[in-house]
Amino acid sequence: MTDNGSTVDGDAAASASRGAFLGRVAVAAGAAVAAGGIATALPKLAGSAPAASRDVRILNYVLRLEYLKAAFYEEAAGQGVEGELQQLAEVLAEHERAHVEFLRKRLGAEAAAPPSFDFGDAASESGRFAQTALTLEETAVAAYVGQGANVSRRLMVPFAQMTSVEARHAAWIADILERHPAPLAADEAKSPDEVRAALAELAFEVP
Amino acid sequence: MSELTLEELDRDGAIQEGVAALYGDTRAAFLRNAIVGGGTLLAALASPPVLRAQTSAANDVKIFQYALNFEYLQSTFYTETERAGTVAAMEARKAVWAKTLGAHERAHVKIIRQVLGDDAGKKPFFDFQGNTESEEAFTRTAVAMEDLTTALLTGVTPALRSRGLVAAAFSLLTVEARHAAWARHLAGVVPVTGAFDEPKPVAEVDRIVASTRFISTLTPKTNVKSSPRFVG
Repeated sequence: MTDNGSTVDGDAAASASRGAFLGRVAVAAGAAVAAGGIATALPKLAGSAPAASRDVRILNYVLRLEYLKAAFYEEAAGQGVEGELQQLAEVLAEHERAHVEFLRKRLGAEAAAPPSFDFGDAASESGRFAQTALTLEETAVAAYVGQGANVSRRLMVPFAQMTSVEARHAAWIADILERHPAPLAADEAKSPDEVRAALAELAFEVP
Repeated sequence: MSELTLEELDRDGAIQEGVAALYGDTRAAFLRNAIVGGGTLLAALASPPVLRAQTSAANDVKIFQYALNFEYLQSTFYTETERAGTVAAMEARKAVWAKTLGAHERAHVKIIRQVLGDDAGKKPFFDFQGNTESEEAFTRTAVAMEDLTTALLTGVTPALRSRGLVAAAFSLLTVEARHAAWARHLAGVVPVTGAFDEPKPVAEVDRIVASTRFISTLTPKTNVKSSPRFVG
């Protein structure tokens, strides 16, 4: 599509609106998946957007999530959160950095630039850190599940390899928080709009 | 589909009680309504004719038949372990884990059977070689199974012709990964070992399953073993 990559440049980064994050790179198919219309909606989508540009949009979409999470966990690990949360922050920072690296490599020149974040005390106060981490991981799981069927086949395996790791992260932080680590027999997908809405609930601005 | 609720899967209420004790009534009520979940999956389910309407989808049927056997393997393992009393002897948090896995895998069996319709195969006969009888052997086996299912579903996604089924595979593989990570955390080890989970091709999964000798026969002949071998 024409917006391909264009929302990831300096203009978008300068925008303070939460909507700029993920918003205009919204992957139409994701909405179809989450709305429950995948089986009929996908073939239409496949006809309306070349696979390569769809891949670029989807990979940049999850790259933005990974930038956010990598920065968040790095800051938390550096500031020192309590007990097991410190270990979690370190391990997750490493994983999300690896995801960022993988996605940037696949995207090459089309990779979105990393935004800068201001997490306030969400990355340093342990209680807030844990709650934020849970939201981030559950949102990432739903975002990945929502796009797994939309990427081209050559990307499905690495996409799934990251998806299941996000699910492990979510289960880990949920169990620390004494929340149910696997509340559903089948995980829900979220559309990019729903992902954006979930991130808007966080205490800090997501650029 | 939507009628497949926790009540149906948890007839004696054991999971709901355990969840209520650990997570509070609200959470249990939430689970009661939502345990099956997966809008993506239900969307895939809503169109099972896709599978049979297209002859080129024959391979999808084969893949989901294989996945069904795997879900049979898991669900039977958890059900037997519960019947053996091994789960009842676990401490509360561990028991909720074990019961949740059983409920989820039984739900996966139902879901995949619905997707396959007439193409759904029968449940094979299993012999879990004593692994249902001790908590330690059960946990080790369960984690291995959950990791293996994650690896299997990850590996087969590109081979699925139906994008609806790919979506279904994604919403199942995250649940299997959660199960394994949850178990590792209960055991006090880091729940996730790397940034990318390793996919496994079907042939390798086959080899691993064969090495366990859990599956007595994949195509049981009628009446050969008329009574299950695993009645606790």
